[in-house]
Amino acid sequence: MSTPLEIIRKKRAEAINRIISKGYLSSKRVYVGMATCEIAAGSIEVMEVFQEAIRSGLSDVYLSQKGCAGRCNLEPTVEVVEEGKIPLKYGLVTKEKAKAIIERHLKKGEVIKEWLIK
Amino acid sequence: MPARFNITLCDGPSCIHKRSKEIVLRIEEELKKHALTDKVGINLSGCLGMCDKGPVMIINPGYAIYGSFTEEDVPEIIQQHILKKKPVVRFIVDEDHLYNRFFRVFGDVNFFGKQMRIALRNCGIIDPENIDDYISLRGYEALARVLTDMSPAKVIAEIKKSGLRGRGGAGFPTGIKWELTAKEKSDEKYVICNADEGDPGAFMDRSAIEGDPHTIVEGMVIAGFAIGASRGIVYIRAEYPLAVKRIKKAIAEARESGFLGENILGSGFNFEIEVRLGAGAFVCGEETALMLSIEGHRGMPRPRPPFPSVSGLFGKPTLINNVETWANIPVIILDGASWFSSLGTEKSKGTKVFALAGKVKNTGLVEVPMGTTLRQIIYDIGGGIPGDKQFKAVQTGGPSGGCLSEEYLDTKIDYESLAKAGSIMGSGGMIVIDEDSCMVNIAKFFLEFTQNESCGKCTPCREGTKRMLEILIRITEGKGTEKDIDKLQRLGNMIKKASLCGLGQSAPNPVLSTIKNFRAEYEEHVHNKRCRAGVCQHLLVYEVTDKCVGCAACKKACPADAVSGSPKAKHHIDINKCIKCGVCFKVCKFNAIRKS
Repeated sequence: MSTPLEIIRKKRAEAINRIISKGYLSSKRVYVGMATCEIAAGSIEVMEVFQEAIRSGLSDVYLSQKGCAGRCNLEPTVEVVEEGKIPLKYGLVTKEKAKAIIERHLKKGEVIKEWLIK
Repeated sequence: MPARFNITLCDGPSCIHKRSKEIVLRIEEELKKHALTDKVGINLSGCLGMCDKGPVMIINPGYAIYGSFTEEDVPEIIQQHILKKKPVVRFIVDEDHLYNRFFRVFGDVNFFGKQMRIALRNCGIIDPENIDDYISLRGYEALARVLTDMSPAKVIAEIKKSGLRGRGGAGFPTGIKWELTAKEKSDEKYVICNADEGDPGAFMDRSAIEGDPHTIVEGMVIAGFAIGASRGIVYIRAEYPLAVKRIKKAIAEARESGFLGENILGSGFNFEIEVRLGAGAFVCGEETALMLSIEGHRGMPRPRPPFPSVSGLFGKPTLINNVETWANIPVIILDGASWFSSLGTEKSKGTKVFALAGKVKNTGLVEVPMGTTLRQIIYDIGGGIPGDKQFKAVQTGGPSGGCLSEEYLDTKIDYESLAKAGSIMGSGGMIVIDEDSCMVNIAKFFLEFTQNESCGKCTPCREGTKRMLEILIRITEGKGTEKDIDKLQRLGNMIKKASLCGLGQSAPNPVLSTIKNFRAEYEEHVHNKRCRAGVCQHLLVYEVTDKCVGCAACKKACPADAVSGSPKAKHHIDINKCIKCGVCFKVCKFNAIRKS
């Protein structure tokens, strides 16, 4: 008989494996805020831009939704996380900005400094 | 390029004592020496909860925590870690608290770096609709630990030792509540999560459930085990559809993974959770009214005792805690009650989440250790008042709380000190008010809310708030009389003493605290018929200035025929006819109408 702690360790390993199989280890991870407040500020449209980009071939990017981190007047927010670097946080992201983040940051590695939350 | 490294230095009182201020200077000097100033960002955080290892500094990326070093060690750390990318192992602190993860992502932003996210540790980090995300960050490990090697009594002892107090507002010690419910003998007991968040301007509970619903589920199962209950209910308002969807999904996924249902994690313990929707009555946030609402009755409070721990839902012993309280439970189990109780003040432990709103630059969710001052929240985290306006007051605790003036800005936040200052902690609303707001009008706004939401069961609340509101309306309309301010105070104190539940007992607070801290404004309204903020419409006087070109726009627009004058000549407003609607002011294109 395994103890609950042994069971949870096994479950954690399985969970991590499932996340990895969804592409977690891609070189860039993108998180789009999707709480009521972020959605009210327009994050569904932003999410769709990223989803569409992945459908039409953007690779090596892991896309996920997230809750609200609590930076109300800068929503919607989008984080771009790369291993070994400080995660970058974009604020007031619109459809157009999302497209630019895909083209300039995700594809070419150019950080769009003026849109970052400081 | 943005900074490549970020250094977070703990700026809590204990680290300041260990010369953190001098260390910052030394770091800056060293960075300058190596021309690294542009590549390395520095920010000062609030207490990081590692006081015994102070001074504490975190270098990101990589999240290397350095502790117990001195100014003399700074050059070595900068040269080794930043230039050669080799962490200096002998100063590295091996601590993995659950809040760390949030810091890794958001720590370099000042607004977040000064916070400490315990209850909201996963909000904004994980996908709330994917249980794997939660499990991967040690989710449900606290539950597994409890089921593996803790007895119910030991769990309760741990919660008691942590010093956690109810985050819904009243601040009753959580561990004692658990103990009282556990002591009762009954074939059935209930665990309830109170997610009936109703304060205007408050959104802590909604964000917590939408960002990390599993932590609520985990906390509730742990409590079920500790008090011997097998059923849990999340009472949440129907106005939060996304939160309802996510908590339901979390419950379903938890059941599928074996964290709910029968024989949880092979331990033989059974627990089920269901969701009940509230219709949005403010009084249903009061525990006895909430339980009646779940039973299918009209939500109205009843006198206590008996307390819910003895006779609660369906007459059974019931444990009822607020969302934020539940979110703290897994942390206390995993990081330990002693660590948790090292945060905060003598009587208030841990952190508190506030919804910072109003006239402040950075609005948002703020979670800080108890003992942080109002000034730190409003200025260091909130960024101060926009547009060079003057700070006037801060309102805490929503419609049950009070307005504190500038002299209270250095009040350290905990349950006792806020109460002493004349406000309350409440569930965590914090509204910043600047010089453009009228305090009488704000008191009126909150009283309008509570008066509306009064359930009508007891006379002091039902009639008293109505009478108070009438007086306030009179004052703001310029019809206030000499005795009105004293009447408000007498009535307010009476309602506080005689009302049945928390709604009535706290409803007069916004009025009483504004009279206490801003009496001059009330007196101006009553004696001089003047509103210094220019908010109370009836007290305004509209007049036409020399800028008037005689276009007659105001004359045409005035619904009371109070404007007279011939075309192309200066017009005139008859103040006896004027109903102070402000239409003339709005239609004038020449800025020729002055209100004072």
